[in-house]
Amino acid sequence: MRQTVRLFGLLLRGYVRDRTALFFSLVVPLMLMVIFGYLNLGDFGRVSVAIDDQAKNQSSKQLVDILKGINTLVVTEQTTDDALNHLKRTELDMLVVIPSDFVIAPARPGQAVPQLIVYGDDARPQQVAVGRQIIAQVIDRLSFAVTQTAPVIAVKDETVQGVRLRYVDFLVPGILGVNIMQLAIFSVAFALVADKQRGVLRRIMATPVRVTNLLAAHVMTRLVIAAGQVAVLLLVALVLFNVTIVGGLIPLVVVALIGTILFLTIGFALAGWATSENQVPAIAQLITLPQFFFSGVFFSKNAAPELIRPVTNILPLTLLNDALREISVQGATIWDVRTQILGLLIWTLAGFILAVRLFRFEKF
Amino acid sequence: MPPIVQVNDLRKRYGDIEAVRGISFFVEPGEVFGLLGPNGAGKTTTVEILEGLRRADGGSATVAGVDVFRDPSGVKRRIGVQLQASAFPDHLTARETVRFFAACYDLVVDELALLRSVDLGERANQPQDKLSGGQRQRLSIATALVNQPQVLFLDEPTTGLDPQARRNLWDLIRDIQGRGTTVFLTTHYLDEAEILCDRVAIMEQGNIVALNPPRKLIDDLLARGFTKPVLQQKANLEDVFLDLTGHELREP
Repeated sequence: MRQTVRLFGLLLRGYVRDRTALFFSLVVPLMLMVIFGYLNLGDFGRVSVAIDDQAKNQSSKQLVDILKGINTLVVTEQTTDDALNHLKRTELDMLVVIPSDFVIAPARPGQAVPQLIVYGDDARPQQVAVGRQIIAQVIDRLSFAVTQTAPVIAVKDETVQGVRLRYVDFLVPGILGVNIMQLAIFSVAFALVADKQRGVLRRIMATPVRVTNLLAAHVMTRLVIAAGQVAVLLLVALVLFNVTIVGGLIPLVVVALIGTILFLTIGFALAGWATSENQVPAIAQLITLPQFFFSGVFFSKNAAPELIRPVTNILPLTLLNDALREISVQGATIWDVRTQILGLLIWTLAGFILAVRLFRFEKF
Repeated sequence: MPPIVQVNDLRKRYGDIEAVRGISFFVEPGEVFGLLGPNGAGKTTTVEILEGLRRADGGSATVAGVDVFRDPSGVKRRIGVQLQASAFPDHLTARETVRFFAACYDLVVDELALLRSVDLGERANQPQDKLSGGQRQRLSIATALVNQPQVLFLDEPTTGLDPQARRNLWDLIRDIQGRGTTVFLTTHYLDEAEILCDRVAIMEQGNIVALNPPRKLIDDLLARGFTKPVLQQKANLEDVFLDLTGHELREP
């Protein structure tokens, strides 16, 4: 332990003195956030929703009124046939069909729960994703209100204020996720392959140092840098863009750390495999670039072509971004994002096995 | 006193190439022992096996009383190592570099005293990558001394140094020997071996072809009737260079 801490202290000192590394771990992410945040590059304006209310009862009217009260949505009432035509011409983002048996009441045993049918325009996936999230949230709150027998009208107020989706709110968790990935993979792979190529690792392995302690020191260094990076990004997000982390900082940081460890294992695997520094950028880009675009960093993950979505939806960064975003935007708890966390842990295990296979200190 | 390094029938092959073909020798405590040979003779492979960095295919070797094959980390604890073509962790000062290696041995050392002993006291707080070639070799020796090793392994310590820095390093190596440390070095500079080493082994294609004090090797050769084709010069170009530029070490 003492050995780990001493090595960690010196490695961290070296890392902090490395201007290039600091630039890439702090300045570039900040630039990304400020540019995308200020220019609102990914802004999607408002989401136009058509509602076909086939129930026309008190419950459905209540739902429609709440949706109409939400700023992000432009709600019109249309028949399904009309709305589908508009959808095909991409004049509409989505259509919600409220079935005739719609009711907001505690479900009775044996009775089917009424189902909303939602059509979305494939050409505008971000808008559809946001619209779906809002509707799901409204339904959740309404159901909750009913089962708790709290006054529905009070919940309605809360809902209207709760759903407050600006692009920057959507963006910040994505920026966190992508930077965790970049930092963990690049900082480990570049540094260790350089150490390997220049003979630093060989020299260290000529001492009786415990390899696990040395690796732990490297991991701790990156965790500290990653924590610093997350802190700076969040601070700027909170101060400059007034972003609210609905689910609280602690769950967010926990998920961020799990993500860091996951991508560190990939970084170590890459460092173990590569024999020269020239190989690192190519392979690292091959790993990170698809996730950069398809994992919901700047735009919804549904921007990925539908054909490859089954794959892109389980990419490590997609899972990380989903979890971060649900915590940050929707106020999810750790338990709520357990599926994503489980996925991240499976990836971590896979990365760990790969790293152990590929990373052999003895051969340096 | 028993030998401090004992090697018996050591073998190592890489694929089709037999790098080391069953060599045997020993090193006496306190001597400067030189392993000479052209590039590719198997010097570095031999040294790296003795340092516990490489596995041999056959034979046996003990260093400082420890079996290299059974307990490589026990050997590493007792020796100091200066590798060919190696480097230090980035962005650390000379002093922090020594501290880093002390941490690798889980030891706390007086870094400044150690740096002073290799004449780097003034450079303690300078980034290690800003040191000159000679200074870096001395820092390298300082890091190899953090654990007060019984044997110091130096793999081509003066390669790439200017004549002043080489002589300065020779003084340092003699100084270390004077403190009671055995020094095991490889070199392909024969003047270096002749001046520094108590005994030298000459390696050729994985075999040791001669092992004796340098003077004895030369006498043996002369006894076989060898004469230089050209009369020995009384001075060479290096002597001219040193006469004109002085023996003092240049530090940037």
